[in-house]
Amino acid sequence: MKKLASIQELESLRKEIKAERQRKPFSITVCSGTGCRACGSVELVAAFHKEIMKQGLYKTLDLRESGCHGFCEHGPVVVVLPQNICYLRMKAKDVPEVIAETIQKNQIVERLVYRDPNTGEKLVHVDEIPFYKHQKRILLGNNAVIDPTDITDYLALGGYAALAKALFRMTPDDVVSTVKEANLRGRGGGGFPAGVKWESTRRASGDPKYVIVNGDEGDPGAYMDRSLLEGNPHGVLEGLILGGYAIGAREGFFYIRQEYPLALKNVQIAIDQAREYGLLGDDILKSGFSFDVRIHRGAGAFVSGESSALMNAIEGRVGEPRPKYIHTSEKGLWDRPSCLNNVETWANIPFIVNKGASWFTGMGTKGSSGTKVFSLVGKINNSGLVEVPMGTPLRDIIFKIGGGVPGGKKFKAVQTGGPSGGVLPESMLDLPVDFDALHEAGSMMGSGGMIVMDEDTCMVDTARYYIEFLSRESCGKCAPCRQGLYNMLLILNDIVSGKGKEGDIELLEELSEVMRQASMCALGQSAPNPVSSTIKHFRSEYEAHIVEKRCPARVCKELTRFSIDKEKCKGCGLCQKNCPADAIVEMEKKIFVIDQEKCIRCGVCYAVCPDKFSAVVKTSEIESPEVFVA
Amino acid sequence: MPSSEPIIQDSKRAENLQNAAVVVIDDEESMCEGCRQTLEESGFTATTAFNGSDGIRLVREVRPRVVVLDLKMPGLNGIDVLRVLGEIDPAIVPIVITGYGAIDSAVESMKMGAFDFLTKPFEPEILIEAVRRGIKLNHLRLETSKREAIQEEDLEEKAAPSKQDVLLKGLSVLSEGYSAGFERMGFLAELKGLEDEAKYYAERLGRAKKRERAILDVVEQLTLVDDIIQEHGYSKSALIQILLEAQSRLHWLPRHVLKWISERLNVPLGDIYTIANFYEAFSLEPQGAHTVQVCLGTACHVRGAPDLLKKAASVLGIQENQTDDRQMFTLKTVHCLGCCALSPVLQVDDTTMSNPSLSQLKKAVDSLEKEEASK
Repeated sequence: MKKLASIQELESLRKEIKAERQRKPFSITVCSGTGCRACGSVELVAAFHKEIMKQGLYKTLDLRESGCHGFCEHGPVVVVLPQNICYLRMKAKDVPEVIAETIQKNQIVERLVYRDPNTGEKLVHVDEIPFYKHQKRILLGNNAVIDPTDITDYLALGGYAALAKALFRMTPDDVVSTVKEANLRGRGGGGFPAGVKWESTRRASGDPKYVIVNGDEGDPGAYMDRSLLEGNPHGVLEGLILGGYAIGAREGFFYIRQEYPLALKNVQIAIDQAREYGLLGDDILKSGFSFDVRIHRGAGAFVSGESSALMNAIEGRVGEPRPKYIHTSEKGLWDRPSCLNNVETWANIPFIVNKGASWFTGMGTKGSSGTKVFSLVGKINNSGLVEVPMGTPLRDIIFKIGGGVPGGKKFKAVQTGGPSGGVLPESMLDLPVDFDALHEAGSMMGSGGMIVMDEDTCMVDTARYYIEFLSRESCGKCAPCRQGLYNMLLILNDIVSGKGKEGDIELLEELSEVMRQASMCALGQSAPNPVSSTIKHFRSEYEAHIVEKRCPARVCKELTRFSIDKEKCKGCGLCQKNCPADAIVEMEKKIFVIDQEKCIRCGVCYAVCPDKFSAVVKTSEIESPEVFVA
Repeated sequence: MPSSEPIIQDSKRAENLQNAAVVVIDDEESMCEGCRQTLEESGFTATTAFNGSDGIRLVREVRPRVVVLDLKMPGLNGIDVLRVLGEIDPAIVPIVITGYGAIDSAVESMKMGAFDFLTKPFEPEILIEAVRRGIKLNHLRLETSKREAIQEEDLEEKAAPSKQDVLLKGLSVLSEGYSAGFERMGFLAELKGLEDEAKYYAERLGRAKKRERAILDVVEQLTLVDDIIQEHGYSKSALIQILLEAQSRLHWLPRHVLKWISERLNVPLGDIYTIANFYEAFSLEPQGAHTVQVCLGTACHVRGAPDLLKKAASVLGIQENQTDDRQMFTLKTVHCLGCCALSPVLQVDDTTMSNPSLSQLKKAVDSLEKEEASK
């Protein structure tokens, strides 16, 4: 490949690619994101290749392995173009039928299409499915049509046009002010205006300057960044190059956690291809601007997602945060001015540069413009990645798009903002989701994790879960965070195991306040959120644990009584084999009973009992155990 | 334009590169992939190229037994490629594909040394049969040339080195040390130190390793670490990347490896230990050959990750963060694997499983055990 040397060469190449694409009338896209790979998309693609060869269809049918489509719950997702037919949960054995029916006869294979669980109606086309219909997929939309390992796919959709526009028609200051006008707020959690950050990095003295992609998606329960890096790495890369041009950096970094091998691979391929095409490296498009990028693999530490900690990690040191009175925009990586933004923030940049600030502010609310990608997971029917304009009510996201809570259970709460966020109960479902509204409600946007909880989720256990996570992840540098989390965890462990005391709730509240005031970085300052928000909205659940020694959701093992339903038990004996306390006795042949005296309430029997039997049952009252007679 | 892409597009193909029996050259990607899938399912290894010149480069690199070749391609066409194949290695067996069933082009290709020809579209079985016969022919050709080679050369018998040989080798190493200006005592002390590390290493691994084997292992690991450092550069900022690479290749970071890195990069050993302790990716304990990771992300937690962890523990017979005695499995937990929609999720090596049942887990573990046993 000869390097592109001007904006004209880029455009004529784009035309060439588009013409080439139009030669094949049909196209089949198989989602190959991590979720669909786990459901067998690799075998599916292999089967398609084989069938195409067998039927001699390679002149008419284009097969594409794309990034994540978002509807992971129903993977592998297959889309047939031009009809825009969506097949879900497709298996390799379905391939010959789909080729024969849909491609050769233009018929629909009914059993593979989406069926609305409420109405029973079959919905064939992508844009009819409620999960997609109510979204506004600006960032995620391209994922579904691009093969992330092929730069020509991105170019065909107008990729790198924003870069060319900026390099030849805009000054760096123009780019900064466009981003500032667009009021793009940081998608990583804080919501700090990206344009303001860029401006101060541009103005800071010091050379060289650096731009950094924060792909250390550490929030458990969130995977938007993974999907963007895997599905459309060029989109993020183009944003980063634009950022480099705007603030005057010559070098950029991708910081990606090593738990995301596919993201690492696809970003490396994207960088290599962009270099080969002259869109990265020395003298980009012969504009005089040079910029290059390196990947740094993150070695796994939640606190390293904090900007100054991440810079320490890139320098090869322990990823602990630095004190905040020195701004990284002035002294960041190797004490040089550095601008760090989240993956999703960078992915927005090419759109903003291309379409202008007013297009962006036209979406969303006054304080928060644009769209936001959420990872809608937990106790929800359609879990997956969801992109909506800022300000969309929670209810729309959870019920219209997400299809509500499965199994006829009752919705209890939704947790947003990851470990630093909080829970929102049913009474707040009409809250419009944007940075400010969530903050006022006692939670936060975070990076966009949205974990739905139903009546079977224990809120005290959830708070304990987050505090345990944070106490493991606290770097230990400052005492309020280190000791505060440790002591909170002790109290919460007591409460969930039935040893809670009067006054524990008040003590937790007091600890929260100290940590909020005195911790050094955002991790410690926001760490009490899971506790204080669950206390605020679900105080009665805490009281049930402490006073009545009862876990209403039957989650906390020590407060739960396990027994075997004689009707359902088929006598397989798995529970007896696995019980560590020898508490399960075979009373008569194939009739098993749990000895409540010996039972240590570890829950292994519940875990190993085959799902088709579900004979081990949990009850929350432990006061009146059935008397065991041997 | 798209035809000038790099020949090796994904890692799967790259892995098979070394011993690929078949190279498929066709400008239609689907055709290439289809052939590759078909061949690999029948137990052949195959790699693909999408044009003639990439194909020739690939053949030079891989030295396949059979080449499946499309005659009609833009740029360098099949006949051109055929011409070059014979020059690279006369033992390679070419099989050509004709798109239009034109008999004269097929005849011409047979004259040029093609062994068989297939007309598009064809059934997978026909391809497999042709390749199978091609490989047989290649084998015959190789055997013949080997026999000729054996007759030409007088083979020297290789015997195990005697004690004297080893002593002489040791002396020459020492004398090299003198000429490089090393102090004798220090040099010997360092050698002794390395031997001690090897003993320590053998002990850590328990019954699994013998001492002699451990010394060889240590040497092998240190050379590997040197290669890694070479690749990443001798700077402190590369430290974490070097450690990550070493971790992924060795599954854990033994003490001698950390000491070695400390000396090579001139970073205090204490600093390296701080980093290795801080980040979760690193393990300072020996790990099993296979890793089972249970995701404890929030989505997984609310959908029953703690129960899944118990299931995994009972199947493997070990608890979280433990390795079994045979160093076969390590059970780990992670904060989030990013597959939240499939929660609760468990990963066995690189395979993700969504809420597996006890029997599914057993099956996965059993198949890995069998695999190890057959090694």
